[in-house]
Amino acid sequence: MSHWHYLFVMAGCLAITLPLELVLGARVWRRPRALVTALVPTVVVFVAWDLWGIYRGSWFYADEFITGLHLGPMPIEELVFFLVVPICGVLTYEAVGRCLTWVKGGPAPWAGQGEPAQARGARGTDA
Amino acid sequence: MPEYTLIALCSVLLVLGIELLWLRTGILRTAQFWLSMLIVWGFQIPVDGWLTKAEGTIVGYDPQQITGLRVGWNSPIEDFAFGFSMITLTLLVWQRVTRPDTQEASPEPH
Repeated sequence: MSHWHYLFVMAGCLAITLPLELVLGARVWRRPRALVTALVPTVVVFVAWDLWGIYRGSWFYADEFITGLHLGPMPIEELVFFLVVPICGVLTYEAVGRCLTWVKGGPAPWAGQGEPAQARGARGTDA
Repeated sequence: MPEYTLIALCSVLLVLGIELLWLRTGILRTAQFWLSMLIVWGFQIPVDGWLTKAEGTIVGYDPQQITGLRVGWNSPIEDFAFGFSMITLTLLVWQRVTRPDTQEASPEPH
């Protein structure tokens, strides 16, 4: 089971941040097109940096704790990392925004989706 | 300067440049961004720490390519710059895509 260590950590990150979407109404998973757009530059740049670091020997991975699936020299876990951690960051950003709105006298973050149904309908479900 | 240290610092400057000179979303002047960054750094301590811990290291570093300053739970300090760049770049694009109306005006050309 130790080969799954790294991926378990990533799964934990997704599980812990899921209430930000479901309870605090972050609406990140529900805007998949915007999310993919936001992730593309990050994944491209950081995969390139990661490959450079591997090539230069800046960092290395314990074979014991990774699945052994690789994209070239890069463990698949690194690609998962560059997707999961930024998603957690966006969820945090949106949840913080909802909480700040509440602090300033707006609706509670767990009350509905935080915007009038009319505006939601007009804008569609995907940004 | 060790290589990872140098690249990590450059990545922060590059992301700041992208915001200030190109995307101009204005998020760097919001409490929402900085509060989120503090929370992300807070969670980076256990997550990054688990990956880089001395016993049962999952991700190791060439000591020649880092300053050797370890913060939190054995994370190289460079990782926090790496995290800042990665999250900020993502949020800049996210902000631009989801709230295009909040883009700041371009400076007047001289």
